[in-house]
Amino acid sequence: MALLTPAFRLWSQWLAVLWLGVVLLVAALAPVLPLPYSPNSPDLANIATPPLGAAGHWLGTDPQGRDVLSILVFGARTAVLLTLPAAVLAAVLGALVGGAAGFWGNATRLAVPYWLLGGGVGWWALQLPIPLLGLGVAAGGLGVGLLFGVRKQRFPSWPIPLNAVVMGTATTLDTVPRLVLVVAMAAGTGVSIPGLLVLLTLTSWPLPARLVRAQMLRVRILPFVEAARAAGISPQRVWLHHALPHALQPLRTALPLSMAGLLGLESTLSFLGIGLPPDVASWGRLMATIRNEPSAWWAFTFPALCLIISIISLNSLSRLRSTLEE
Amino acid sequence: MTQHSLGKLLCTTIAGLLYSCSPQRTDTDAIRIRWSHDPETLDPFQSPNQVPLDAVNLLHLGLLEVDLTRLKYAPVLAERLPTTHLIGDSLTELRYTLRAAAAWDNGHPVLASDVAFTLKLMFCPDLPNEAARARFGFIEEITTTATAPRRFTLVCRGQSLEYSVASGDFPILSEAAIDPRRQLRRYSLRALQRRPVTAPADTVLLGVARRYRAASPDRSPGLLPGCGPYELVKWEKDRYLTLRRKTNWWPDAGLRPVPAVLQALPKRLEYVIIPDAATATLALRRGDLDVYPQMPAREYARLQTAPSTSNALRLYSSLSYSVVLAGFNTRQPALADALTRQALSHCFDAAGLLKATQMGAGTRTVGILSPANRMNYNDSLALVPFDLKRAAALLRQAGWQRGSDAEAGWVRTVANRPRQQLALRVRYRAEETLFATAALQFQAAAAQIGVPVTLLPTESGTFSASMQTGDFDVYVRTLNGNPFMFNFTPIFHSEGIGAGNTTGFNTLASDRLIEAITTAETEQRRAQLLRQFQALMQREMPVVPLFFLPNRVAASSRITGLQVSSLKPGYSVKTLVRAPQPSPAP
Amino acid sequence: MVGLVFRRLAQTGLAVWALASVVFLLSYRDLDAAVRLALPDATEATAGPGAGRAADQATRQAAFRQRLGLDLPLFYLSRTTDPQLHWVKWRWNGAHNQYHRWATGLVRGNWGVSFRTGEAVTARLGRALSFTLPLTGTAAFLAVLCALGLGQRLARRPWGHSLLQAALVGLHALPLFVVALALLLTLANPEVVAWFPAYGLSQATDADLDTWSQTGRYALHLVLPVAALTLTALPELTLHLSGALARELRSDYATTARAKGLAEPAIIRHHALRNALLPTITLIAELLPALVAGAVVVEVVFALPGMGRLLADAAAARDYPVLVGGILLIGAARLLALLLADLLYFWADPRIRWHS
Repeated sequence: MALLTPAFRLWSQWLAVLWLGVVLLVAALAPVLPLPYSPNSPDLANIATPPLGAAGHWLGTDPQGRDVLSILVFGARTAVLLTLPAAVLAAVLGALVGGAAGFWGNATRLAVPYWLLGGGVGWWALQLPIPLLGLGVAAGGLGVGLLFGVRKQRFPSWPIPLNAVVMGTATTLDTVPRLVLVVAMAAGTGVSIPGLLVLLTLTSWPLPARLVRAQMLRVRILPFVEAARAAGISPQRVWLHHALPHALQPLRTALPLSMAGLLGLESTLSFLGIGLPPDVASWGRLMATIRNEPSAWWAFTFPALCLIISIISLNSLSRLRSTLEE
Repeated sequence: MTQHSLGKLLCTTIAGLLYSCSPQRTDTDAIRIRWSHDPETLDPFQSPNQVPLDAVNLLHLGLLEVDLTRLKYAPVLAERLPTTHLIGDSLTELRYTLRAAAAWDNGHPVLASDVAFTLKLMFCPDLPNEAARARFGFIEEITTTATAPRRFTLVCRGQSLEYSVASGDFPILSEAAIDPRRQLRRYSLRALQRRPVTAPADTVLLGVARRYRAASPDRSPGLLPGCGPYELVKWEKDRYLTLRRKTNWWPDAGLRPVPAVLQALPKRLEYVIIPDAATATLALRRGDLDVYPQMPAREYARLQTAPSTSNALRLYSSLSYSVVLAGFNTRQPALADALTRQALSHCFDAAGLLKATQMGAGTRTVGILSPANRMNYNDSLALVPFDLKRAAALLRQAGWQRGSDAEAGWVRTVANRPRQQLALRVRYRAEETLFATAALQFQAAAAQIGVPVTLLPTESGTFSASMQTGDFDVYVRTLNGNPFMFNFTPIFHSEGIGAGNTTGFNTLASDRLIEAITTAETEQRRAQLLRQFQALMQREMPVVPLFFLPNRVAASSRITGLQVSSLKPGYSVKTLVRAPQPSPAP
Repeated sequence: MVGLVFRRLAQTGLAVWALASVVFLLSYRDLDAAVRLALPDATEATAGPGAGRAADQATRQAAFRQRLGLDLPLFYLSRTTDPQLHWVKWRWNGAHNQYHRWATGLVRGNWGVSFRTGEAVTARLGRALSFTLPLTGTAAFLAVLCALGLGQRLARRPWGHSLLQAALVGLHALPLFVVALALLLTLANPEVVAWFPAYGLSQATDADLDTWSQTGRYALHLVLPVAALTLTALPELTLHLSGALARELRSDYATTARAKGLAEPAIIRHHALRNALLPTITLIAELLPALVAGAVVVEVVFALPGMGRLLADAAAARDYPVLVGGILLIGAARLLALLLADLLYFWADPRIRWHS
């Protein structure tokens, strides 16, 4: 049972930290590392050559003649600058909206003047028929609000369907096939690095949102949350300081896994015929070359190993706290 | 349920399955051929791509058909190629005679009235015949005589050498099957052609269209009889399509000797749809597949070197008529002058790309005409070399100046115009690695002389939209051609701008030359003009033709009689024979 | 409770309708690409004589639009912007519009016809579903079963559980096509072992066999694709479940149960599992729409017909009627799954109050 001792687990976690540190370092130093080849210029004389094969391609070349080592190094850069932020952003966005949807449901109410104000401005901004009507409604809402707000009068209020809106958006994003979604978004934002970041974040937040919402449904009725409410703390504070930290539990497993999902998504996208710019070197796409060239094991094994080790490291770090607690 | 018992259950199930039906190989006489995707429709007028054409050509016959091995049109339903009579200077008459033996399956002869009916159906409203309309719009009228039911004359608008073969390449449909009351005879071909899109609905035409659609093989196979050698047995969409050789096909009894184009040897053909190339190769090696046409270069190269190939498989290749080319958007101010385009053409390493992506097979070319077409290919022109020094020199000649520091790139100022910066966006279809390799090579080469290049791999639907709207600077793609048709109006004429002319290239000289080629009176004159055209295109360089692709076919060694062809589908299916004694498995 | 479920069902129906309408309006708004892709490519050098003028192409496109009724206005209202004044004008088109035709057809069960083949959308979707559901259904069932078994085992921290966990994480990092190709190239390769067929569902020649053999062969063809799908779905489910179980086992009630002398498996089964299921239910609910959506990668690699390939092809060819029909189906499945998940949350933890 030596494998189970906390000492071993700590040790393996140090290894994980070490590996992730190396990846970060390589990513940061990629442009200045003395690599024999650039990741984007194909060596047409050496297509799909095995490792140590020829002309200083230490890890071989892919079926397009690009150096595998360079792609690995620059792929680490992409993973750190693109995939990691995308996963974190998606998790944060998902946690916020999913947590809010789970905590408040459809039950929060908003006074009618605010509804009028919002609706009117929206009407005007969308240039629906007779835009001035919208402005009029907005002005009316504002006026009524100001007039009666001063006198602290209570208004009839309408509920905000927060849960319905969040879940509806998530469902729409999930239901429309990814191919269509990515093509539509790529047409709008273009396939640049920031565009990609937005695209990956927007297509991957629904899952964390669902997970956090599910957990929040449970957390919000736990005794300590009820107690905090009873103590008169404002709902926003209860949500942020008391409920949300506990509702984030599932993300500790989900976040490292979603990194793998995002890296895989990239290769799946090229499988479906939507390319990301080939100058953005990526482990996922290097792995995908196995489809064109099943005998080029080196173009697949090295990125797959890097990816698997990184994911396992992230995963074991996400359990760091529980180990320390034990 | 614990994992343990679950594992047991799984193992038992799988073992049971394996035992009950171990993959016994069923040896049938069917020849199995791979298709990469479903034909989608077998409508003879609506063929979105090559795959349905393969099947339609087996189900139906045209007046003339391409002899795939000799690369010539040969008469099929017609007795011989039509005789051409020029009328004035703007009309052509083509006189055809149908073979006396040609007959439908029920024994009724194929008559001129069937040809007239087919042509009219192409212009009948409410049918998916837009593609056919475009191809055969030049046939203005068909005249038949009651006394000679097998003779007819096609009156064509304009005059062109290509009319004689282009006018006969469509499948003939049976009038008796779709229009037994002969209602379409009331309309002349010309009247149908000139019918505006917005004309009020005509119940007779709608009735004919409805009967045609009901007979379409998508819905009920067998209702639309063809006089081709095969009949459709079963079509499971996205899975397979089975064809059976007719036992009462008319040339078997009625023709001695049987001409080469009217031979059909396989008794049963099974087209199986396998989208993934690796899976298809595996199926071929397992013996589940007999013919694998249009094989990707790397799969083919791997089979060539694999030791297991030598006994079980045979590999064939020929030069195809598909050319890989890069095109410039001449509407962009920076690319509007020929010198800049010439300079950039020196940044493509065609020889290196050919070697890297096609393993050296294929042929470099000076223009978009195949070097195999010796009569028309201009062999006095030199291939464009990969030469970055020359590229930089030409850029300077075009008025570009390199900025002081390395990052500045190339700029030029033309009188009365804003300052131009040379930076290019290359668009190509994302799913094709060949294009990606070419684009990457161009990017790396251009970077060496200081031209920044952005790569935009694009999904195929978006790609065609970007081509139409001109949202690109350079594109990389393939262009399919053939040795018969030399009409460059769609891709290089000013009249094609907005349709097929994606580069936006047009000059007075090139427009005149293209028109002269289509109306040339003799083949010699046309060859002369085509050579001039290639020289002109090399000077103007709206496109950089890189190389012609090879066509690769792999087949099981039990299949004999496979004849490769330079034209799609790359081999002649009608001559395939399965050897009676299967060779011992390796 | 029942009334609530019915109300939620009605809401779900409305949401599906809204989703399909939005997708319909957004996709049909720009039909140029669809029209262009449905007609033959004008940019080929194989044109016969007399073809290729841009004007001819415009006529052809007009004919195509008219044949499919795409020349009608899109919606009841249409919006035009005056180029000079930038003044937005709205126009009422009446019931003679594409959306009205689509919506009334949908109510009557006519989902339209494919742009490319003219075939009814319902027929295409029905056929694709009949192939997809057995494949994805079996895979989802197996994945959930295995995840429940494995997750409980892992939570008990047997010997080597870290290694097993690492293996699962590693498996998760592999894209689906890699798993599928690896299975194909090892278990259907004559150079390794050829236990399973390489492609398709059954051959045309199998039609002569009796029903039992046919079913057997069908099942045999499904083994590898199902295995690939199960293997890729399994890690995430298992890891989430075991993570949640581990958290629950550290909680107070588990300690109490241990103090009462209950064995670890009993604690898991009777106490912890129910609470730990909550995040897992979310993931299982994700599986239901995936059942309908199919798995394009597996379908391509094993040459199976199905929803995934149908929709991917439809998207590439801009065959909007098929695409909108598919989205309608998947959306319905997804919203039903959400409803089901909410019911299951309620079952797993009755303290959760139902919020409409």
